[in-house]
Amino acid sequence: MTGISTSGWMVETTNLRKSYGKVVALEGLSVQIPRAAVGLLGANGAGKSTLIKLLLGLQSPVSGDASVLGFNVRSDPLRMREHVGYMPESDSLPLDVTAADFVGHMAEISGLPSRAARLRAAETLYQCGVDEERYRLMREFSTGMKQRVKLAQAIVHDPDLVFLDEPTNGMDPAGRDDMLRLISRIHNDLGITVILSSHLLEDVELVCDYVVMLENGRLAMTGPLTSLVQGEGDVVVQVDGDVDRFIQGLRAKGLEARRRDRDILLAYRDDSVFDVVRDLSIDLNVLLRGLRRDTRTLEDVYLQRMSEQPENEAADVHAD
Amino acid sequence: MSTPIEQNLSGGALGQPEAEIYDRGYRHYDGPREGRRHAIQALIVYSIKRGLGIKKRWTAKIIPILIYAFAFFPVLIIIGIRAFVGNAAGGGLNYLTLYSAISVIMVVFAAATAPEMLCDDRRQRVLPLYFSRTISRGDYLLAKIGGLGILMGTVALLPAFILFLGSTFLAKSPVSYFFNHIADLLRITAAGTLLAFLFASIGLLIAGFTERKSIAAAVYIGAVLLVAGFAGALFNAINAGWHRYFVLADLISVSDGLTSWIFGIPLDQGRMAAKANLNGAWYLLTVAVVVVACAAVMYRQYLREE
Repeated sequence: MTGISTSGWMVETTNLRKSYGKVVALEGLSVQIPRAAVGLLGANGAGKSTLIKLLLGLQSPVSGDASVLGFNVRSDPLRMREHVGYMPESDSLPLDVTAADFVGHMAEISGLPSRAARLRAAETLYQCGVDEERYRLMREFSTGMKQRVKLAQAIVHDPDLVFLDEPTNGMDPAGRDDMLRLISRIHNDLGITVILSSHLLEDVELVCDYVVMLENGRLAMTGPLTSLVQGEGDVVVQVDGDVDRFIQGLRAKGLEARRRDRDILLAYRDDSVFDVVRDLSIDLNVLLRGLRRDTRTLEDVYLQRMSEQPENEAADVHAD
Repeated sequence: MSTPIEQNLSGGALGQPEAEIYDRGYRHYDGPREGRRHAIQALIVYSIKRGLGIKKRWTAKIIPILIYAFAFFPVLIIIGIRAFVGNAAGGGLNYLTLYSAISVIMVVFAAATAPEMLCDDRRQRVLPLYFSRTISRGDYLLAKIGGLGILMGTVALLPAFILFLGSTFLAKSPVSYFFNHIADLLRITAAGTLLAFLFASIGLLIAGFTERKSIAAAVYIGAVLLVAGFAGALFNAINAGWHRYFVLADLISVSDGLTSWIFGIPLDQGRMAAKANLNGAWYLLTVAVVVVACAAVMYRQYLREE
């Protein structure tokens, strides 16, 4: 493909504003998103779907500007859309058509020649876990199968970037796990950059390595997942044998230690605590099974952020 | 993309069909991308297939089959009879009478097919998938108008072409008949194309405002009958000179007036278009205004954000 900006930001918005009547969906959103598996997080109504629709050119902003892969979404939407795929949140499949016919048709609408479109459709559906069923009418499909077909049509033309809007919506736990594995594969194995919108923190945590969090149409925080969740955590120690005796040993060495089930939580001071633990395990002849920093979950970060931010100020946790 | 490993088995003496083995592992697509024009063509073909009920349940194919039967059989039968008993048979059949009958069939065809092309895309929310690709909203509408126009064109043009060919081959001197009447081919093309887009654009306009196919079809036929009824009543009730222009509100009369003007064949005096006695250019203008107005309103309707 040609014309894509390979340097700079994958998505960039400047003072993006969108309202529906009196309801403001996005309020002056300025964000720069690097090439990564990006999780677009926020509660229902935070503005995630609106942002995706604006970036795709499906809707027009009241004010502000945006670019995707270096293409301005207002002035160059068609060229931009050659390089992106979209899996909408809502049901969006014609039910009286087979999956193979529809995905092939969508490939043609993306400009692929007819024969190549048919082959790509079969191949992509197979990759998405729809094999022989592709010849059945989609009215016979379960929710999970429909979601897979929606994903297949989003990547059938081999886009550089795919927007996935709540891809696990309505799926049972097993189907949800399958879908998340599939999305991870699309990013990691097929090299297609993913922007995953979800209100489910675990989904984002499993798939993404960069997070953009929206709250009431504003940017709440943005940054790499690792920088958001790391730091501030305790050290987790796992030992075989007498846990309480080990805790007493740690306390004797001046460390704050407490028990959590079979784990020992140790207040992190500096990296010397790791040496203390190692030496103590040798002294007490205890097998050290695990020694790591305890990380916060994205949920911890989210809840902390929500409790800290009564006003709608944006916090750039980490700017690349 | 996966490159097919093609094994041509047809070279053998048994002449087996070609077979292809595909590596189904995902690979990136590095083949040609034919762009927006190809996308519009693909949407036209897809829309035509849906309109004809291809790859759909057999019930979806009934109406198109009946329409084509009604459009083609009378011409074929009369030409067949003329072939056996001479040109005197079915003498009343000319391009004007043919188009009078076909215009009614086209109303029914547009009522059945236009909703098939638009309503499902709206009801099943497929439009965001189209509009997130390399086509614009205008391209989408262009493809739908083109698709329905082509379908309607088969009904509007082919029976008349068959009549022309039949008349040519049944003439005493087919060659001289062909060259003497070659202008009829242009007239058929002009009349058929104009009528196809007239009926198609109104059908699509109505279908663009509802998600229910049955409602769109009923409104289309109802509107055509109702407006024609009002126009006819006003035409007959008022006698002020300008009352003649009410004929332009009746689609069948517009079809009559247009084809009469294009083919230069006078209408039966009982027809409203004959009584109105308007210049043919008025009918042409009416068709142009209706098609452009319908396209503009549809475009405005589809500009609304999903």
